[in-house]
Amino acid sequence: MKKLLAILLCVLMISSILVVNAAAEDVVEITYSYWGTPEEAASVQAVADKFNSEQDRIHVTVLAIPNEEYTTTLNSMAAGNQLPDCGIMNENGVLDFAADGLLADISSMYEGAASMPLDAITFKADGKPVAYSAANEILFLYYNKDMFDAAGVAYPDPKTPYTWDEFVETAKLLTLDGNGNNAASPDFDANNIVQYGCNVDNWTWQLEVWALSNGGAWFAPDGSACTINTPEVAESIQNVADLYLVDHVMQFRDGLEDSGVQSTIAAGNVAMATGGTWNVGTCMNLATFPYGVAPLPVMKEEVTICTGGPQVVFAQGSHQAEAMEFIKWYTQEENSWDSLIATGIWMPILEEYYVNEELTHKWVDNPNFSMGYENFKTSVVDYAHDYAVSTCWYYVPHTNEFLEYLRSELGSVWTGDISAADALNHAEAHLIEIFEGY
Amino acid sequence: MARRPKHRNALLRSETRTAYLCLIPSIIGLIFLTYIPLMEVFGLSFFSWKGNGFTGFKFVGLDNYIRLLTTDPYFKQSVLVTIYYTFMAVIGSMIYSLIIALLLNRKIPARGFWRAIFYLPYLLPAVAVYLGWNWLYNINYGLFNFVLNRVFGLPRVGFINDAKLVAPSLALISVWLSGNLIVIFLAGLQNVPRTYLDAAEVDGANAWQRFWFITIPVMSPIIFYNLLMALITNLQVITPALALTKGGPGSSSRFVSYVMYQYAFENRKFGYAAAVSVMLFILIGIFTAILFATSRSWMFQQGGDDNE
Amino acid sequence: MNKSSSLSGKRNREKVVNTVCFVLVIFFSALCLLPIWWIFRSSLMTNNQLYSNNVPFFPPDWLFSNYPQALKNFPFWTYLKNTMTIIVPSVIAGTVTAVLGGYAFARMRFPGKRFLFTLVIGSMFLPVMVTLIPLYIMWTNILKLNGTYWPLILPYFCGGGAFNIYLIRQFILTIPRELDEAATIDGAGHFRILLSIIVPAIKAAMIVVALLLFTQMWNDLIQQSLYIHDAKRFTIALGLSQFKGSLKQDYSAIMCATCMSFAPGILFYLMGQKYFVEGIALTGLKG
Repeated sequence: MKKLLAILLCVLMISSILVVNAAAEDVVEITYSYWGTPEEAASVQAVADKFNSEQDRIHVTVLAIPNEEYTTTLNSMAAGNQLPDCGIMNENGVLDFAADGLLADISSMYEGAASMPLDAITFKADGKPVAYSAANEILFLYYNKDMFDAAGVAYPDPKTPYTWDEFVETAKLLTLDGNGNNAASPDFDANNIVQYGCNVDNWTWQLEVWALSNGGAWFAPDGSACTINTPEVAESIQNVADLYLVDHVMQFRDGLEDSGVQSTIAAGNVAMATGGTWNVGTCMNLATFPYGVAPLPVMKEEVTICTGGPQVVFAQGSHQAEAMEFIKWYTQEENSWDSLIATGIWMPILEEYYVNEELTHKWVDNPNFSMGYENFKTSVVDYAHDYAVSTCWYYVPHTNEFLEYLRSELGSVWTGDISAADALNHAEAHLIEIFEGY
Repeated sequence: MARRPKHRNALLRSETRTAYLCLIPSIIGLIFLTYIPLMEVFGLSFFSWKGNGFTGFKFVGLDNYIRLLTTDPYFKQSVLVTIYYTFMAVIGSMIYSLIIALLLNRKIPARGFWRAIFYLPYLLPAVAVYLGWNWLYNINYGLFNFVLNRVFGLPRVGFINDAKLVAPSLALISVWLSGNLIVIFLAGLQNVPRTYLDAAEVDGANAWQRFWFITIPVMSPIIFYNLLMALITNLQVITPALALTKGGPGSSSRFVSYVMYQYAFENRKFGYAAAVSVMLFILIGIFTAILFATSRSWMFQQGGDDNE
Repeated sequence: MNKSSSLSGKRNREKVVNTVCFVLVIFFSALCLLPIWWIFRSSLMTNNQLYSNNVPFFPPDWLFSNYPQALKNFPFWTYLKNTMTIIVPSVIAGTVTAVLGGYAFARMRFPGKRFLFTLVIGSMFLPVMVTLIPLYIMWTNILKLNGTYWPLILPYFCGGGAFNIYLIRQFILTIPRELDEAATIDGAGHFRILLSIIVPAIKAAMIVVALLLFTQMWNDLIQQSLYIHDAKRFTIALGLSQFKGSLKQDYSAIMCATCMSFAPGILFYLMGQKYFVEGIALTGLKG
């Protein structure tokens, strides 16, 4: 009886270990990893099915990984030499993956193409492209027209941005307490606010735009130095913090996740909010009020930042050519058109969509852009083309660790325990250590 | 007479065989799933490795440990935060679960129903639990702040956004989650022989005396187990940081496990993270050793001893 | 006369104490249920209502339609089936091996016992996360088991975790040794003693172990995301985590899915619950 039990256990374990996956076919099997919600998953699967049915040499299998676990899982796979053949990636890990030899060379992807992806969304190491974003996303200002009407305030101009002071003053007029007083009124009760004038998202990477706007920069433009501890950068961060701490025109935010638009303006409790293009298709489409878009307010210089998760080919697989073929096919605009571009979640990556108005019409003339073609063209399309600069992770390594440490140090700035200048003084040494790599 | 030792030897041999047979699965697990990986991690802690396949190992000697104990921006605070949190969570959940177990051990209507309610939190998906609590704690949309601010007109309280309150707030969730401790206490309470209690009552012992001189000693191995389990699981805490606070605000909920997690799985500094793991292993070992050392003085063992 | 009045006084006092206890139980369970109510209430609201400055205690519209909506993206039955495929064998194997291990440590004498026991205790100090990478390499590169459920199941055939072995041992130690010594004299072997004396006496503890294993696997998101990549083979935990997307957090769907995923845990608990009741009867006999 006891022997039987022991033998049974041993047999069970050994037999399960001996399970061998045998699969040998002429078709090249490649895997593509993605994160995302079930809706996104369905559209990714549809794209892969389409690719599989269009030709019979390559078969793509999609690997589903929950967004929250995506980086963890990819990093573990990399350690085990088990990365998929290709997949989408978080922007902040791209250059590190490239530097460690985990990304395949894709420089030939757009060889001889008529229109190149925008330069600002090309990841570069030593000036050489290592990955292209699958989409373009910029930051701009959303506003709730009903709240502006109710307060009797003119809409933001679609072309000429607010100065920072104008922005704060406008936000005050749109911040209301339970008695209907706005934040500019002497009777205003800051302990009983029912509507906030603005939300400037302090999700850490987005703060870079304010440094640039205030005439500073986190990094030298060529990525050769970290210049984050300057009065301009400190002031830019303090300005954002003071919206909550001093002016009471913004609710407290801890800067932990991307819900800045979803939880504020889209939920109908805030009049103006900064956010990325993707919100047009992910949450503003559900808004029950008319909304408009405008450029970001300006501290000193008019600027916005752009980004977009790249599709990459990983270097651990043995079918890199086939993987690149799939990625190249996948990033063609028409293959992500219906689910991603026409809905407003993605902006196209090819420059022609920004300069050729016929193509812009093809893209924007659709009911998902409820603010109207003129508004979106002026405040987003042209703005993206003329004023957008790369987010730091396109040319600076170790941004994941950098942003994480910066986020943790800024935690006490948002609560008002320390000033932004003190936080940067305290954080500078380690931020530079991370930037330089250790 | 001369045959007895031999007989005993044969008995011991058969007992040894049976014991090892019983322990085969556990020994396989201990070797292949625990100690070999642990040694690999220990070895890795002397290397720098970025986790690119099986390449790029660089021997760095004690550098990882030196940096960890000197210039690391997170480690020292993370140890303090972890101990502080563990202290509150362990004390809180021990007291809470013992009280609830004692209450549930009395003659009250629908006992099974109430027991299920207290156990329920433990059965929920862990990540969802923290998200659910976020809607209570949240500074803007949470119930607690709604009551404070909109009902009583008091200023909002940060709870998990306040550097001073975050650890106690998370410890409270841990107390709430201690349904398993309650059930183990209950199972233990039911093993307290009714006859002992009745006999003591006949002898005139009051409720407190019966509790203190009979229930507690009989329960002491169970109390010890619960203490041990609460201590170790809380020292390893990571889910609240992952699901809710990301270690913040500042570093006030950056637990040691989370520091390890970030270095390994976010920044791919696997060698360095291995050094953090080793330190965490030592930290838990120290606290457990203290617990074991003190337990000899108060733990009462009825069925036998393990000192053979 | 005097005696009977003191007896009835005692009975009265007992009644009062029980009533006080009952009131306390109701009070504590109300507190205990608040977060659960909050999850349920949030599941019946829209995301916009969740982000409102007004925080209603009751859902304004009782949107039960959220549930069919969430089910579209959360194929509950498939995920449940997948989860059970992992959990059922693991829970059974984990409990059995923990009982065997706990019994050996509690009742048998053998060389190397202290050493092995120390190894068991030592393995408790080790967070799962620490050995994730070496184990991942073992399961994928050496044993080639990636994409299967085996890396999640097999560890439970190996002792069911140190905590469980230890818990079983603690419970066996509370059983008077005389009982099995008497059986030994009757000629019963170790496995007979284990099955006929020990197991009935520690049923409650075994249920506790099974529940511990159940929740442990239920919540093991990181390992599941490492080994399961086929959306059709997702578990409930993986399915839940999908709702926190890259560009949007669908909290009301998360709360719906969470509420649905309460059910299996509660059922599992209710199944085990009667053994706690039996535990009382047994101790009655024992005395």
